[in-house]
Amino acid sequence: MNATSVPGKGHIEIRDVCVRFTQNGVPLDAVSDVSLDVKPGEFVSIVGPSGCGKSTLLNIVAGFLKPHQGIVSVDGSPVGGPGADRGVVFQQYSLFPWLRVRENVEFGLKMKGVSRSARETKARTLLGLAGLLSFENHYPEQLSGGMKQRVGIVRALATSPQVMLMDEPFGALDSQTRVVMQEILTNMWQQLQLSVLFITHDIEEAIFLSDKIYVMTARPGRIKAEIPVPLPRPRTPEMTSSPTFLALHRQLKALIREESLAAMGGELKEGGLAGHDWHVGAEGVGAML
Amino acid sequence: MLLALVSIGLLIGFWYLATAYRWDFYIRFTHIPGPVEVYRDALALFGDPKFMTNITISLRRIMLGFIVATVLGVGFGLLIGRYRAARGLLFPAMEILRPIPAIAWVPMSIMLWPTTETSIVFITFLGAFFPILLNTMHGVATMDSVLVRAARCLGANEFALMTQVVLRGAMPHIFTGLSVGMGVAWVSLIAAEMISGQYGVGYFTWEAYSLIEYSHIVIGMLVIGVLGLLCSGAIRLLARLAMPWQVSVGKENTR
Repeated sequence: MNATSVPGKGHIEIRDVCVRFTQNGVPLDAVSDVSLDVKPGEFVSIVGPSGCGKSTLLNIVAGFLKPHQGIVSVDGSPVGGPGADRGVVFQQYSLFPWLRVRENVEFGLKMKGVSRSARETKARTLLGLAGLLSFENHYPEQLSGGMKQRVGIVRALATSPQVMLMDEPFGALDSQTRVVMQEILTNMWQQLQLSVLFITHDIEEAIFLSDKIYVMTARPGRIKAEIPVPLPRPRTPEMTSSPTFLALHRQLKALIREESLAAMGGELKEGGLAGHDWHVGAEGVGAML
Repeated sequence: MLLALVSIGLLIGFWYLATAYRWDFYIRFTHIPGPVEVYRDALALFGDPKFMTNITISLRRIMLGFIVATVLGVGFGLLIGRYRAARGLLFPAMEILRPIPAIAWVPMSIMLWPTTETSIVFITFLGAFFPILLNTMHGVATMDSVLVRAARCLGANEFALMTQVVLRGAMPHIFTGLSVGMGVAWVSLIAAEMISGQYGVGYFTWEAYSLIEYSHIVIGMLVIGVLGLLCSGAIRLLARLAMPWQVSVGKENTR
């Protein structure tokens, strides 16, 4: 599917994973019987209605959460906890405010015991790739949201992980910045040849970036559909108006809409929900007059 | 700046008039020395090595008590803030001791410690310890947890996490604790010196009262005030050196 994929490294396997939370003493299934694969070098997105457990799934691969059932492994070795072999980019800005941009990028290398000069070289190279070299001595608070998130990506890449886990990394950005960030990300991904597991609720973003998209159901989250994206690489902004793109968009939107309605409480049909709302609105206006 | 001078001028003017005319209307200024007398005696006193010894001894007690309080307060604060077991084991005991003012420890402290000197340092330590402890705990608790998660998936082990992430993240609160702690340490020190002391500015001030050298009372008070001011200034300077990212943020905002 992806011509640039390298055999071997960065294979994420999720097998029959269940996660159960206890809410007010009642056990609640957040994720149920999920199995999925991210092949080496593949860019895979998970989309679904809010609260479907897509972030939970990512937290399991990152090692922050243990599943109650099932196995998660990267390149055959089961995930036991967080580690620098899996780079994570969070939705919230997560740069250390007390470190300068370059020191933030160097953090993972410092933990590995890499020498100061080697750290500096690596960090500056990566910052250069991301167009951030002139900001290496800034503190995070002095950067815009898009730049902070770019530094976050660069920091996660610094330890050369085979796998990147990204939890709605562009969710807090405005739409223009978002589009630019998506292009930067695809470029870096192609150069570095990593596997990416990407969580988003933005359908367009998922299609633009991915080789394959998993759609999850409302809670408890299951895999509802696995949809390959046959668009060629490199992706360009013009592709977002191609027939293939639009057809995928329509298909995914319909799938997610079903689940969002289910999540909102259920038995209401699409037409019924809209009609009912309208009726109440008209009555409300009448009562006010 | 001008208003500040006027403000201070008014205070000294009132002091001068009240003492010059021996104001005696409920509050009695009859025995209170005036600013001129105090100034004259102060000049004489600052050449007196015995007085200087009092100052250095007070400062030494503050330093010792405060440094130990910082080490233990920050150390325990980080442990209690981060580990539930440490919190369960240590915090209840500390909560029982916390409401007892440091001054209430004076008799006990004299019995506990082999010398008066160590007992006074202990009182100073107690005054500073709890504000530092509580603020450190608060700093750890209110730190953004995503920073800890980020550090862990960058390969930080528990020790690195504590020293390079949790400590740094809690630093703004720790410095609040140090500021408050420094203030309480001075209160405790002066009280302890007045009660049990030999040497120290608190002792000097109380002794002046017994010896009917009233101008020395005022000098003692002013010296205590200035020393307290210098100490909190030192903490603020230290904060700026330890947290350069906060200064640069402030600069950026005012631009």
